Amino acid sequence: MAHPADAARVRSPKKLPLKERYALLTRGLDWEPSYVSKERLFPYTRYEGIKIHDWDGWQDPFRLTVDAYCRYQAEKDKRLYAVLDGFAQGQGHLRLSDASYLNAIKLFLQGVTPLEYAAHRHFAFLARYLEGPAPRFAALCQCVDELRHCQTQVHTISNYNKYYSGFHSWSKMHDRLWYLAVPKSMFDDAMTAGPFEFLISISFSFEYLLTNLLFVPFMSGASFNGDLPTMSFGFSAQSDESRHMTLGLEAIKFLLEQDEENVPIIQGWIDKWFWRAYRVSALVAGMMDYMLPMPVMSWKEAFELYFENQMLDGLFPDLAFYGIDPPRHVNVAIAEKDKLSHEVYKILHNFSFAAAFTTQIPGDDHLAWLSQQYPQTFDRYYRPVWEKHKRIEAAGDRMYFRGLPQLCQVCQLPTAFTEPGDPATLSLRHSEFRGETFHTCSDGCQWIFEREPEKYVQARLSVHQIYQGNCGGRSIPDVLAWYGIQPGDNGEYKDSSDARCWAEWHEGNLA
Amino acid sequence: MSERLRQVGIDLQESEENRALVEAIVADNPKVTIRQLPGLVKLQGTGQIVINRQTVEDKLGRGWETGEFQLAIVSYVGHFSEWDDDQIIVKWEH
Amino acid sequence: MARREPGVSVKALYNYDFPSADRIENFGPDQLVYVLWEGNPLFCSPAAFRVPRTMPFGEFVTTMVRPWAASDPDFNLAAMRGWKLFDEPIDPEPGTSLEAAGIGHKALLRFTAT
Repeated sequence: MAHPADAARVRSPKKLPLKERYALLTRGLDWEPSYVSKERLFPYTRYEGIKIHDWDGWQDPFRLTVDAYCRYQAEKDKRLYAVLDGFAQGQGHLRLSDASYLNAIKLFLQGVTPLEYAAHRHFAFLARYLEGPAPRFAALCQCVDELRHCQTQVHTISNYNKYYSGFHSWSKMHDRLWYLAVPKSMFDDAMTAGPFEFLISISFSFEYLLTNLLFVPFMSGASFNGDLPTMSFGFSAQSDESRHMTLGLEAIKFLLEQDEENVPIIQGWIDKWFWRAYRVSALVAGMMDYMLPMPVMSWKEAFELYFENQMLDGLFPDLAFYGIDPPRHVNVAIAEKDKLSHEVYKILHNFSFAAAFTTQIPGDDHLAWLSQQYPQTFDRYYRPVWEKHKRIEAAGDRMYFRGLPQLCQVCQLPTAFTEPGDPATLSLRHSEFRGETFHTCSDGCQWIFEREPEKYVQARLSVHQIYQGNCGGRSIPDVLAWYGIQPGDNGEYKDSSDARCWAEWHEGNLA
Repeated sequence: MSERLRQVGIDLQESEENRALVEAIVADNPKVTIRQLPGLVKLQGTGQIVINRQTVEDKLGRGWETGEFQLAIVSYVGHFSEWDDDQIIVKWEH
Repeated sequence: MARREPGVSVKALYNYDFPSADRIENFGPDQLVYVLWEGNPLFCSPAAFRVPRTMPFGEFVTTMVRPWAASDPDFNLAAMRGWKLFDEPIDPEPGTSLEAAGIGHKALLRFTAT
């Protein structure tokens, strides 16, 4: 007896096999230029020193034609917007674990959403300027994906903007605020590099090597804390991300296979971009361990699972075939996993008077969880500091870093990181270039600086820009106004407008 | 010389539709392990994981295109070694 | 073919040579100085100050460093000691200008006070 599925297939018109359809609709539409030279048509694919002999060597495992792309993306959007509507209609925000959870989402909207927009711009550039039709088409799909991610993130999070502070000016803040210079400068660094370096920096290092560390904590955190819209957005975007991961992996393999001389260039980029993306992920570490009322897992555990197991033990043995080694400073990252989140949240807590989110010291249950997750370091190095804060607050005060920090010339974070194996000593580094001193936070950032100093000496470090008078004025209130910070956005969580509203909105519960 | 077979994985969205997909994958890859997390089904296998359109259609009770896998996938560990009208294979290349 | 200026490490299609964003000329009569309170984990990092090059060291400490260090309620000005310029011990007279004490643009100073 014929299966219903067979009947359905017999009724639909006969199609060419997927491989052939894809070839006709992508490579089949390409042409050789006849009145302009290839070099003039594609002026950016030679200057980085990368050698490509055959652009047809690019594999396209996803084989998505434009009609299929539109159909699947439309379906994903329909499903997502149904969830957003349901959540808004059901006043779902009242069922979050706590209003303080939303500080993580403020960080996401201000820090990550603009990167999606930047990515869409650069993939549009690649969709024009990569020489092969297959990578051009993959870049075009990713361009539209990234714009979709920006839009859907904005729509997803806009519901919270109706009720909570800090969500109102994400685009302006991304360009101006000190902690947002961390992701912004990383992406600007990538966008101002050549097309091949961009593919290794973003498609490979960001979208493959570190994507799960950057993305899954936010999405799982959403799921654990009642944030249905963000969780749904995450799942909706992740299916796009698997295409992006594939592009990243294909990019690196294609480049490595084209010419042996590409290998050291690629290795240098892997070394640089692992570290740059890893330093951006430090913000995620602080978020995971300190900003989730219902924690998912510790940064340490996430790093071990998503990076050490999946990447170092899974991917890099694969790349060893081509002569590629694990990233140069990976051992520092591994040594930091017991420290990173604590060092970063210290920064955010020290400076949240100047941030568009609020922070607070961990309560006793939270301290217990941190002790348990970090048996090597927490009770010795970090608990005493939180307990000092507790004493300061019991006396009616709240400690802030009353000044501006030294920033790393490369990652632009305050130089708050410590020597491998010594959590009590800051790993401050400095270098000289053309008679001027430049400070970095670690061996990783110093190595990056000294490799391309002409680039990094131009960095617009937010603290130095403030001191040059380029940020609205020389006083903190002037700077906060220039940042676009409004009352309720910044400072301490516990007496914030978000905390007060939350308490008020939950007063009616008769249970 | 025996090659060390490494773990490959697929993370799928937990949904009504995807139950059939998970059943199909387990039927064709008997040694695959399943881990449930909120909203997520993590499948892990040694060497490779194969998805056969025919098996998915049998479990789902309707026609299914391999392209629909895009709506189900959240993340993966490995490489899409093959993806055509009938089959998807996730494995490491080397 | 890409043009590469000798000694420039950045790969570019043009002469890649741009001024640094924080060169001392951008600060008028002033400079940047960083100060680390060694061994105090309450502060995430060293502090950054913009300060006239000719300001006396003692005035720098009392009018700029001290208010910042007092973010820690346990700070005791009298306990400040062990000044270092990068890794070298220094002991400038309070009246010596930063410039004369060898504390130049973007220098890192360290002290202890516990």
